[in-house]
Order: sequence, then C-alpha cells, then structure tokens
Amino acid sequence: MSMSVFTAARARLRGTALALALGLGLAVLAGAQPADAFDLKGPPKIAFIYAAAIKDGGWNEAMDAARVKVEEALGVKIATSESIPEEATAFKAAVDLYVKRGYNIIVGTSYGYSDPILEAAKAYPDVAFLNASGTTNAANLESFYARTYEAWYLAGMAAGSVSGSGKVGMLAGFPVSVVNWDINAFTRGAQAMKPGAEAIAIFTNSWWDPVKEGQTSEAMLDQGADVIATNLSAASALNAAEKKGKYAIGYQIDMTAYAPKGILTSVVFRWENYLTPTIKKIIAGGWTPEEYGAFVGISTKTVDLLPFTANVPAEAQAKIAETRAAIEAGTFSPFAGPVVKQDGTEAVPAGAVMDDEKLWALDYFVKGVIGTMPAASK
Amino acid sequence: MIDFLVTWLASTPTFATPILLACIGLIVCERAGVLNLGAEGMMAVGAMAAVAVTLTGGNPWTGILAGIGAGALLGLVFGLAVVVLRADQILAGLAAVAIGLGAAGLIGKPYVHTTVTGIARLDIPGLSDLPVVGPILFAQDPFVYIAVALALLGWFYLMRTRAGLRLRATGEDPGAADVAGVDVQLTQLAAVIVSGAACGLAGAYLSVVASQVWVEGMVAGRGWIAIGLVIFARWSPPRAILGALIFGGADALTPRLQAVGADVPAYLMMMLPYLLTIAVLAVPALLRRGGNAEPASLGLPFLRQDRR
Repeated sequence: MSMSVFTAARARLRGTALALALGLGLAVLAGAQPADAFDLKGPPKIAFIYAAAIKDGGWNEAMDAARVKVEEALGVKIATSESIPEEATAFKAAVDLYVKRGYNIIVGTSYGYSDPILEAAKAYPDVAFLNASGTTNAANLESFYARTYEAWYLAGMAAGSVSGSGKVGMLAGFPVSVVNWDINAFTRGAQAMKPGAEAIAIFTNSWWDPVKEGQTSEAMLDQGADVIATNLSAASALNAAEKKGKYAIGYQIDMTAYAPKGILTSVVFRWENYLTPTIKKIIAGGWTPEEYGAFVGISTKTVDLLPFTANVPAEAQAKIAETRAAIEAGTFSPFAGPVVKQDGTEAVPAGAVMDDEKLWALDYFVKGVIGTMPAASK
Repeated sequence: MIDFLVTWLASTPTFATPILLACIGLIVCERAGVLNLGAEGMMAVGAMAAVAVTLTGGNPWTGILAGIGAGALLGLVFGLAVVVLRADQILAGLAAVAIGLGAAGLIGKPYVHTTVTGIARLDIPGLSDLPVVGPILFAQDPFVYIAVALALLGWFYLMRTRAGLRLRATGEDPGAADVAGVDVQLTQLAAVIVSGAACGLAGAYLSVVASQVWVEGMVAGRGWIAIGLVIFARWSPPRAILGALIFGGADALTPRLQAVGADVPAYLMMMLPYLLTIAVLAVPALLRRGGNAEPASLGLPFLRQDRR
C-alpha cells in the first residue's frame, strides 16, 4: 500500500488521541501515584515538537498558533522541530538534542508521541514534558486534551437552529471515541433546537483526502442535509456546502474563508489557554501533573467557538449562550441523561451524566444519527 | 431511488477521471516496456504544481499545464535513471514516489490549504437538462470528456499507427525492435515522459478541478490504484475506461450509501480495486489460456550489447 496513506493517517492520528481511553484505563490499573511538585532547574528554555508539517491547516497549525501566544505571554522564544516521526528513535534524538542544549520544558503535540515521551520523561527527570492528545503521564509529564464535545454540542445547536430540513451532516475521519463524542454531541445539540433533528455522520477513513471529503459532503447534501460540519481539516467540505447555498461549520482553525456566505461558526482550539498557565506554573514551581492527564473544558476556552455569523438567528444565539454558561457553570452536560443509543437502548439514565471513563470508551452513536459505526470499532 | 442512482452515477466520473488519466499514460509506458511505479509521486508533484501556479498569478488552465509539466519533469528524471542509466525499474519507481511526495510537500508549503477557483462544470447546452442522462453524461467537468478522448486516442495510437507499433515492439522485444531500426531508448524515454505528464495531469485534476485545494498527501494512494488499473485493463486504454468507472463507481458509492445510513463495509470497499486487480491477474492463469497481455519485456532494462 501507499506510504503516503500510512504517513498521512499516522500524522493525523495525533489529533485523535485514539487510545487516550486505553491509556487512561491502563493508568488506572497501574495505580499511578500522585507525585511531588516538579522543580524546574535553571532558566526556562521551551521547545515544541510536531509530528507533521506545522502549516497543515488544522491540528499542528492550531498548536503553533498557541506557541506564538505562549511566546508573547512569557516573553521567551520557543524552539520548534516539525515532522519528527512518531517513533521512539526519531523522537528521542530530537529530545536528546534539546536537552543537551539546555532545554527543560518540552511540548509534544501528538498522540503518537505517547510512548516515546514517557521514555524521555523517565530519562530526563529534570525536564518537564507536556503532550497534546497523549495517553501517558508521569511525575514530569502531563498529557492534555480538550472536551471538544462541549463545543460541538453548541455548534449542533446552531446547526439545528438554521436547518430547515431537520437534517444536518458531519464529516469525520475515523471512528474513535474523541470523534464519536463530537458526532453525538453535535446531534444532541441540533435536537435541542429542533426536536427530532437527524445528523448524517460519515467516516471517510482518512485524515487527508479533500476529493473524498468534497464528494462525501455532496452526498450528504443530496440526502437533504442543509448544514455540513467538518471534523476534518480540508476546505472542500465547506466549499461543497457553499456552492449549494447551504450552511457550514469549520473545525480546528477559522474556516470562514472556505464558506464566507454559509459559515455559522468554527470550533477552534486555543491551546495557549492551557499551555500558558501550565508553563507559567512549571516555571514558578509547584506544578504537579494530573494523574490521568489534563482534560480541559470549554470554560477554559482551550476549545472554543468563533462568534456566530448573522446566519444564526439572534434568539438561537441567546439560547446557545445560556447553554454555554450552564456548561461552564457545571449545571449542564451535553451527555446528561437520558442518553439513548441509536438502537434505542439507554446509555445514560435520566438524572445521571456520562462520566469520563464512559466518554473515553464511547463506541456508539446516539439516537438521531444516520450512519453506522464500523464493526471494528465496537 | 432513481435520485440516488442519478446522483451516484453523476459523481462517479470525479473519482474515475484521475485514475483513468494516470492509467492511460502508464499503459503507454508499460507498452514500451518500462514499469513506472512512480505514479503516486508524479501525481503528487502535479497536484502541487497546479495549485502553486494557479495561486501565483496563473489561472486554473495554466495551473493544469504546470501540473502536466511537473509530472513530465519527474518522469524525465525517472526515465533518465531507468532508460539511460538502466537503474532497476522497481527501485527507481519507488524512489520516484518518495521524491515526488517529498518535493510536493517541501515546495508546496506556502500553498497548502488555500482554495483556488477551479474549472467549472461544462454543462452541454440542451443536453445537461435532460432527466437522468443529463446530469450523468452531459454535466461533467471538461476533463471527464478529455480523459475519455485521450483513452480512445491512446488506443488509436497504440493499435493503429506505425509509431504505436514501434512502441509496442519495444515493449515486447526491444532487441528485435532495435534490429528493425527503432531507437529503443528514445522510444522508452518518450513513453516514460508521457506517463509522467499524464500522472501530472491526473494530480492537477485532483487539486484544481476535483477539490480546489491542495494538501500534502492528497493523492492518497490513487497512483497505486492507477497502476492496478493498468493490469485490470490488461494494457488496453478503452478497457481502462470501463475499469476506471468500476473503481470510481465503487469509490463514489461508499459515501452515498453511508449518507442514507446503510451499513457499508468501508474497509472492504477500499480493498476492492486491489482485489479486482488480483482477480484479473489470476483468471487467465487459472484458465490456462490467453496469457495476461503483459508486454513480454516489461521491467527489463535493454542493453544493446546484450542483444541476441
């Protein structure tokens, strides 16, 4: 098979935290002990390591935008290395070089770095490590990810408020829990504004295939969807919606340019909202990595929504703002029971809320999703 | 139901055209006796160059030309390696893939994720509004028709012209062709460049016409499918049209079935082109007749001194 397919898939896997669930599970089994506060030796020297090209139109680009913000906030220059393969030898070589040159805060940005970064953390106990969408944690290593489903629920509400057909569509990459919860939250959000709304969900089984993404979006539009949301990075999904005069929702970075007329909002990452305070804490002293990694919500604005365009009616915007406030206050959760699976069985009873363990193991669609979860992911 | 069939069939050419365009070039190349495994890389540089030129002051058509040129250039490099320097064709082909993907990623950096105005659909007046056949046959982009025309032209060239005969002779028995006065190296080099240009065009189609954006790795294995299609078509351009429609139709069907909520074995569908290719290779062998139409000297370097 083609090398490019594998490298591309691998390159984007960092965005999915596919097995963060597994990692969390294993961490529980291993019974990781809370460590003493980490003590940084010497002046801070920070480096970011990327698994693919920085300007990838999505994950890495969002991460690099955060790096610039961290530089501004801390007034330091941050070194970067891009396209460092997600394998132990290549990653270790990069870390070794940085450590030799006196770097003591190293930020990995990939799920695929989970294992190598743990090894590095063990090898260099005096260096602080952070890893986006990783699965490993230690006394000097913290993995972090955002509760993207909170933002997608609100985006779903926007979609439901403008949908005339009651059908919206979401384009996704692979059936992993971090993607599945986006789809489910998006669907439930749409239903909150338009009872009985349905969401077509299609996995392209690829992270990088604009041709397929455009065509898949057209297929959803042909089936009556009038809002297309992308959980991927290519512009062609939004293009397809714009051409048919339908609405679109972007992901990762501001995608307004791809559908200037039909865009509702973009679900974006602002990793600096996690990274700046965390790195500040590392420098100031008193940093203790979370035992199971940091899993930050929309209240931190680490995952956020761009301001809604005029396409979203004012009263809907007000209702979405209310819901957002409730989520931030902790009085509401997108997965508050009753959560009913696609097949009609109850996943979360009324009065209960889906816990993190269940979230990381999410392998089903909720009622109202049109689409099938591939058998392999169950 | 009829709507579903129409929209499905109308979206099939978008998937079929790039693999058909690449396949026609590869057939010419293999008929001349050179196995070009570099298709994926040549498509990658074509896709990148087309968007780069379109974005830097060109228009989509000059972009397409640039894509063809970039593919041909990598074809030339590969051709010099295998025809003139007689490098191993399989290794040189794989190297061409790596070079193409790498060069596209490196040079294309400033152009990634930037949308371009593509080439509009060509609605044939009077015919495109016909029910059912209109959207399927008469409302496609120009390259769909160009690809079909090129396939027929390729067949005519290979089977009905003297130059085509010389080229086929080169692929079957370069020694005999050499005796008959054919310049084997020049013929092979030209064929390799043509295949590079065709792959470049296919890549340009993917970026400028089909998705109107370039991202690294967007060829996504289509070059390998085109190589499979050469075998599936048994080295015949018209059969490649049929094969491309089958491969493209399957590709187009998956998202459409998923959109109506059907449980599609997506991974099986992705394997389909390769399974069909193996079947086409295996069937003549199992039937013990005909052979598989493979040019007899495919993949063998020609050394005049070794001529028997």
